[in-house]
Amino acid sequence: MDKTILHGRAWVFNDDVDTDLIYHNKYLAETDPKKMPQYSFEYFPGKENFAKEVKEGDFVVAGTNFGCGSSREHAVYCLKYAGVPVILAESFSRIYYRNAINNGYPVLFVKGLSQAIKDGKIKDGDQLEVNLLKGEIKDVTNGNTFHGDAVADLEKDIMKAGGLIEYLKEKAAEKK
Amino acid sequence: MGKTMIEKIMKRAAGKEVKVGDRVWCNIDLSTARDFGGANCVLQFEEVTEKKGKVWDPDKVAFTFDLQAPSHSEKVSVNQKIIREFAKQQGIKKVFDVNWGIGQHVLLEHGLVKPGDVILGTDSHMNLLGAVGAFATGVGNTDIVASWFEGTNWFRVPESMKVTVNGAFNKGVCMRDLLTDIVGTLGADGMFFMSVEFCGDTIEKASLADRITLCSMVTEMSGKVGLIMPNGKVLDWLVERAGKEVVDRVKTLSADPDAVYCQELEFNVDDLEPMTSCPDAPDNVKKVREVAGAHVDQVHIGSCSNGRFEDITAAFEVLKAANFKIAPGMRAIVTPATREVMLQCAEAGYIQKFLEAGVIFTNPTCALCTAEHYGTLPGGDVGMSTTNRNFIGKVGKGSHTYLASPMTAMATAVRGKVTDPRDILG
Ligand code: SF4
Repeated sequence: MDKTILHGRAWVFNDDVDTDLIYHNKYLAETDPKKMPQYSFEYFPGKENFAKEVKEGDFVVAGTNFGCGSSREHAVYCLKYAGVPVILAESFSRIYYRNAINNGYPVLFVKGLSQAIKDGKIKDGDQLEVNLLKGEIKDVTNGNTFHGDAVADLEKDIMKAGGLIEYLKEKAAEKK
Repeated sequence: MGKTMIEKIMKRAAGKEVKVGDRVWCNIDLSTARDFGGANCVLQFEEVTEKKGKVWDPDKVAFTFDLQAPSHSEKVSVNQKIIREFAKQQGIKKVFDVNWGIGQHVLLEHGLVKPGDVILGTDSHMNLLGAVGAFATGVGNTDIVASWFEGTNWFRVPESMKVTVNGAFNKGVCMRDLLTDIVGTLGADGMFFMSVEFCGDTIEKASLADRITLCSMVTEMSGKVGLIMPNGKVLDWLVERAGKEVVDRVKTLSADPDAVYCQELEFNVDDLEPMTSCPDAPDNVKKVREVAGAHVDQVHIGSCSNGRFEDITAAFEVLKAANFKIAPGMRAIVTPATREVMLQCAEAGYIQKFLEAGVIFTNPTCALCTAEHYGTLPGGDVGMSTTNRNFIGKVGKGSHTYLASPMTAMATAVRGKVTDPRDILG
């Protein structure tokens, strides 16, 4: 199967979703990333069931400034290890973006998503088709399409390596 | 074409010319982790280096124990122990254990922060060190671990915004109110990914505590860092702690007069009133007068934003004007930022007076920023805090928080409801 075209359900969120809503500070003492998904969105009003109901391949879709708030990488791990293959948002907070890239975890900046969510043009449970290479998102349920921004070169290289640590290891090996 | 502060700082750290939008690898002057995130860093570093790794320079790594200080659970205690043992093994001496206080402030007090330094840390308010012209930034554990390999990491050279502030605060009004006003004006993404330079009369005269307050909230507007080059008394204070090199750094890294900014804003504080961020977002801003009378169950004065001696003094003055009485049933908690601040409070005789008034005076800690340490709010309760975030449920599921200045917070503790401090100070 071609991994660059993904199909799955949408979980839709608003603007300014902060890290406490994604992964609450109550669980910061956890150090095993694989145990983090059980707490995803526990504090998000109306999305408390996310952790129980999310299926491998589902997408997280959000408006502007997704992941604002704390620097905790837990908020990336909890979605990555829940099987969410990519996060689609109008924009991401700076630290969240870094944390995702550094883990080789794809996040796409998608124009117009914030307004589309407000206008109900993309809703919880919609089936999406995401073309990662082209950055194209099709809402199969209602036919709307959206376009993601191109990823900068360095970030692309880090993603390709599988994350920042892997990237640095590759560089170190090249030097030798 | 002139250069902004961040362009000069990144040029120095990258060892080459840089321009906005470039991705550059910068040398890291200090890579720190806290008790939260710190254990994650250590475990990750050990995993990816198969326990054989050595940090690139033990003198440039520091640990601060502040989020859960002192520890409140076995899990946290184990995490803190993981860090202590790693530090010993690696020869890392800069370990500030649970008795020291909030990391950024402790590093600053120990002279470990100079203008132009590039500093990483596992707290999103690391960037308050921009208050002395350092480029500090909050990052996740992978960034810290990566920096431990060779002491570098990648950054995007950000656009710069210039914020000029003039005028003098009226009685009962302070830097925190200006900041709240700015957050309300610009909104949660008003400084998106930018470096922000603060200047003008008001800033040049501001204390270090006030500069820290200002820079600590840049994160709440999605900014990368807020920068102020030290001058006057702040410069003297820093030179005393961090050495003479500071003076040169200020000279070489200050912005050029013809530097290019993507946005320039001006504020005047002459007519500013006490402001508050209402539940449940920092940018939900109103004048304190507009929400005066709203019920509040608990007040907290402290945090990395407003936990310095000057902040506690301002709160103390309000309590004094109210004859050292707080409202019946009010839970009022004062938390100094560091041990040094706590000692200053002890020496000034504040602690005795706070305790007599029924105020809880805690050890220096970040604990009140989380919902699992002390000070947690039950659902339905309303708090007022001088910290920097009030997203719904942050300090307890279903609880709500107002953010305000130490003066407004203490006035609210005195009356048991949201109160303009000018009503008490006269
Ligand atoms: S007081 Fe809160 S925001 Fe500030 S450093 Fe501590 S945890 Fe972070």
